[in-house]
Amino acid sequence: MKEREERHPLQSSDGELDRVTGLDSSKTETSGAPLLIVDHVQLGYVVEGRTNVAVEEVSFEVRRGEKIILLGPSGCGKSTLLKAIAGFIEPVGGRISIEGHELVRPGPDRAVVFQEFDQLFPWRTVSDNVAYALRVTGKEKREAEAAAGRFIEMTGLSHAADRYPHQLSGGMKQRVAIARALALEPLMLLMDEPFGSLDAQTRSRLQGELNEIATRTGVTILFVTHSIQEALLIGHRIVVLGQSPSKVEEIVDVRNVEDPDTEEFIEVRRHLRELLAGEGEDVNHAVFE
Amino acid sequence: MQSSSEAASSTTPETPRARKGASWLRWSSLPTVIRRSILLVAIVLLWQIYVSVSGVSPLLFSSPVDIAEAFLEGWISGELAGATLVTLQILGLGMLIGMLVAAVLTTFATWTQIGDDVLVLLTSMLNPLPAIAILPLAILWFGLSPAALVFVIANAVTWPIAINVSTGFRTVNPTILMVGRNLGLRGFRLVKDVLMPAALPHTISGLKTGWAFGWRTIIAAELVFGVAGGGGGLGYFINDARYFLRIPEVFAGLVTIALIGIALDAVFTWIERRTVIRWGMKSGT
Repeated sequence: MKEREERHPLQSSDGELDRVTGLDSSKTETSGAPLLIVDHVQLGYVVEGRTNVAVEEVSFEVRRGEKIILLGPSGCGKSTLLKAIAGFIEPVGGRISIEGHELVRPGPDRAVVFQEFDQLFPWRTVSDNVAYALRVTGKEKREAEAAAGRFIEMTGLSHAADRYPHQLSGGMKQRVAIARALALEPLMLLMDEPFGSLDAQTRSRLQGELNEIATRTGVTILFVTHSIQEALLIGHRIVVLGQSPSKVEEIVDVRNVEDPDTEEFIEVRRHLRELLAGEGEDVNHAVFE
Repeated sequence: MQSSSEAASSTTPETPRARKGASWLRWSSLPTVIRRSILLVAIVLLWQIYVSVSGVSPLLFSSPVDIAEAFLEGWISGELAGATLVTLQILGLGMLIGMLVAAVLTTFATWTQIGDDVLVLLTSMLNPLPAIAILPLAILWFGLSPAALVFVIANAVTWPIAINVSTGFRTVNPTILMVGRNLGLRGFRLVKDVLMPAALPHTISGLKTGWAFGWRTIIAAELVFGVAGGGGGLGYFINDARYFLRIPEVFAGLVTIALIGIALDAVFTWIERRTVIRWGMKSGT
């Protein structure tokens, strides 16, 4: 804990936000019973009585406060898997459970941030997008507005709170989506390539901001990407998926790999690259994205 | 002389269009309202001059001055106001019924496959049919009564509204629907808070088209009614004026129809500016 505070001064400087999110620092420990269990999950669709399998069999666990990456080549079913965890798709086999309960339907305890910029309600302002989500999930109007203001501030968008989504840049829209998801105080944040449509500069800035916010709030994150670089920058552990119908190739612990200039980082990156290369992904493409 | 014009052009960067207009009072640099007002005044003036100079028979054509006189008289006496009210009442009732039918049809079309099939079949059959064409049938069924007009109007507005609204629902961006479901929204709340606002651009354009169809249809239907000798709306007013050779009143009726058309278009434009254009869901004009 001590080490963390030294590395991320923001956490100690702003106790207010820790209180806001209801996640005290003890919960940021990545220990205890798993929050999410994905157990022998099979995903696919049924055509004329036959099952076409997209995800053959995937098992992994996510602990509280952990940042887990689903990494795999395009079309491997990692987004489908995220949608299943969000409750939009029912697995054809296996079970997904959160806090010991099997999933039944989508819910705000698993707040999703999508890749698409149009995930904001265009008829609501930035602050109203966040406040509406809070009102729907049971907060009083005034309380919702106050909380919305705090989370918008956290993502650095206070100056744009009264704008409509179409008046924002792509990066700002994704920040609002993240603020909205965090404001729900979810058990976990499901992020489906949220920075995939951004330019490189904005992307790298938002990756940094996401790490800061995660440290500050201790929120559990499941993050889907096909970029090794992004996986290493954000993740604690990386679940590497193979080509469709996919299985878990390996779960790589990268908790201590953060500085891109270290030998360790380069070593892990090479390893991940080989794993993906074995799966037919264009190596250079995957590395440099 | 030459040097001064050169200096002016070098300090103010001009578009090709502006440069062309520069030789003649900089027409394109004037505000739109002014440009249109000038043209309107010019047309009315030419019209007045033509009528005064050519000596055209007042039983065939009226001058703007006579029309303005008839228009004011008509509104002051309440004759035009009454006719307008009758027409708008029938149109309003017809549109209300049309909207209700469209709402029911689109609800079924959104939730069931058979409802969708029925809607597609009905719209493809009835939408291309000019609504006025069913007036003889309507008269047969309802007699020479306002009910026949309401029936024709309802038929005219139902299809454009239904087709637009159902397109709106079907083309709602799937991501935003997932966001709604992620928040735990289901059933009516999901429809009210996500589907309906997301389909609003289509709904408004459906209402706009529906109103335009209805407006044209009711005037046509009333003219027929005028010939048949009933009614009391604007179409009837025009036909009646023609019958008694009060030609300026015929024109005054036409002016009224045009003005109401402009006013209602302005209302829709205003609604769009306040909603879908403001939200970036439709580009402004």
